[in-house]
Amino acid sequence: MSPINILNWLQHTWWAVGIKESDFVFPLIEGSHILSLSFSVGMVMILDMRLLRISFRSQPVSQLMGQLMPWTMTGFAVMLLTGILLFAAQAVKVYGNTFFRIKMILMLLAGLNALYYQVRYYPKMAEWERTKTPLGVRIIAVLSLILWIGVIACGRTTAYEL
Amino acid sequence: MFQTFIDRFVQWCYYSKDYAFIRDTPYGVPFVQSMHLTGITLLLGTTLALNLRLLGIGFKRMSLPYLAEQLWLWTKAGMALTVVSGIMVFLPDPTRYAHNGPFRLKMILLCLALAYQFAVFRRVVRTDPESGSKARNAAFSALSLCLWFGVAWSGRAIAFFQ
Repeated sequence: MSPINILNWLQHTWWAVGIKESDFVFPLIEGSHILSLSFSVGMVMILDMRLLRISFRSQPVSQLMGQLMPWTMTGFAVMLLTGILLFAAQAVKVYGNTFFRIKMILMLLAGLNALYYQVRYYPKMAEWERTKTPLGVRIIAVLSLILWIGVIACGRTTAYEL
Repeated sequence: MFQTFIDRFVQWCYYSKDYAFIRDTPYGVPFVQSMHLTGITLLLGTTLALNLRLLGIGFKRMSLPYLAEQLWLWTKAGMALTVVSGIMVFLPDPTRYAHNGPFRLKMILLCLALAYQFAVFRRVVRTDPESGSKARNAAFSALSLCLWFGVAWSGRAIAFFQ
């Protein structure tokens, strides 16, 4: 079975066909996918601004992060679910789309960037969160902003190439 | 009379060479649309955070006035980016939008949302939500969320009512 066979099977499942052919289900899922950005990436951007010490300087990072995380995670969960549904509805075409592939790579990089923060800086947050942010953390914040804006741009452009 | 005015304006935009470069450049429109979506993410993300605090379901370890003050720069930045890129989407291709029902609804909701934001909501978030009743907070929040997400959803609907 080649990937194309699997994708072909996926987009011909009854629910994928149903999404694609419905006049209102597809726009509804697509709209939800896009507007969940305000929860997911919107909250990530707020954290990045704190890490760059542009906003919320008097808030310890761990405290702000704790308050942002439930909403960020909710947002990403909705985006993942709606994203899978949108992908399934046009699996073969989307799989072959260059911007979709770039988007996946950028998301992987954004994930690794966040993982690096969790491993390298999160355990020692108490040492720096009230004072100066280490240079490494500031670089992570800038990378996070660039990568997520890249993800948004590639996601938006994918729709033009289908 | 008003209709003629709109039609003239649309024609003038369409034949103006100043904006043609956006639709003639490869990826010009997707690029501007991506900026639009990035602005929306910032604007809606920060608005969402304020409303979650106002409703008492998130960001409880910060006061609402503090949250509003720290986020205001980013709400403004998001608004500016969204409006400027939105105008850049409209001007090169005005015929597509001027007679589109959801686009007209979007413009009306946008005016209402901006008026509400600056005349009412900005003042609400400068006060402590615990000093008002739950019903009052819910009403102010519902109006903010319905207006801003209404603008966003009607924007998304433009593409589905061609």
